[in-house]
Amino acid sequence: MSEDLDPDELLIAELRAFFTEVDPVPPLVSETAKASLGWRRLDADLAELLSDSALDEEPLALTRGAEAPARSVTFSSGELTIDIEVHVDDPGRTLLGQLSPSAPATVEVQMMADESLAAEADRLGRFRVRLPAGGPIRLRVLGADGRGGPPVETSWITV
Amino acid sequence: MIIATTPSLEALIRAADDGDEAAWEAIVDRFAGLVWATARAHRLGPADAADVAQTTWLRLVENLDRIKDPERLGAWLATTARRECLRHIRLQGREFATGEDSVFEAPSEDRAEERLITRERNTALRRAFARISERCQALLRLLAAPESLSYDEIASALAMPVGAIGPTRSRCLDQLRRTPELVGLQIG
Repeated sequence: MSEDLDPDELLIAELRAFFTEVDPVPPLVSETAKASLGWRRLDADLAELLSDSALDEEPLALTRGAEAPARSVTFSSGELTIDIEVHVDDPGRTLLGQLSPSAPATVEVQMMADESLAAEADRLGRFRVRLPAGGPIRLRVLGADGRGGPPVETSWITV
Repeated sequence: MIIATTPSLEALIRAADDGDEAAWEAIVDRFAGLVWATARAHRLGPADAADVAQTTWLRLVENLDRIKDPERLGAWLATTARRECLRHIRLQGREFATGEDSVFEAPSEDRAEERLITRERNTALRRAFARISERCQALLRLLAAPESLSYDEIASALAMPVGAIGPTRSRCLDQLRRTPELVGLQIG
């Protein structure tokens, strides 16, 4: 029994039925969302996303025709800053990273779909990782403080 | 003290933060439609929308211990999803996200005869929808999400003032109603 005699409500209801049928949340999307609780941060400090050039409002006219600059993303935990440049070479991605303060450390790239990859940052804090595909990733940095403190994990970003 | 029959969002968030999978699944069940509709309202194709949804849920996982206003979790998710959409659009352009065919996957079922009417109606709606402005498509997509969204959530999903939603909604529904496909149908 419907109390919605308002024509606008009726049309919205019609659209709702339409979208429920033709564009429901794909089951895999819900399942993956439910599985993501397994990625809770347990032992690590969070390095939050500070800036992402993909969100900068640059006029497109300035970059048209020219080689698009690599996306650059910065995370910070307060004590550690992690800068990465994302180079796209489809389907892969190459991350060039810099830890500040610079120090040797192990950088793990965690991916939803693949096994983690690890890279070593050199004594200048630089690292390079090649990923087989794009998608959501986060970095886990171990040993950057040189004192056996907790690892640092970044926010997730999609590359 | 009121004993709620269903756990509050605050309780669900706290439980999920402690690793309670049932609580987390309840949160996902409640808001999966909002996150998906936000991505689709930004005209992302299914693969990009799935990435946006995934990143949005992972963001929530990492922020479970710092959600300040649990009752506005829907708005938080909508804002987070919108920002992820903007990233996608900026990084990849809109090559996958134009035209009615890519906005909605064609329904694959082709079975019972009794569905013919529904199918014709859906075809009419699909075509009509493709004719209205992008802004209207986005707003109506959210207004027609499976679980009704609050204006606060819709405003967050579209970065639109709450006060603009009502008037825009009427205008967009009028646009839709005046399309040739819907003029003939007795809808709304």
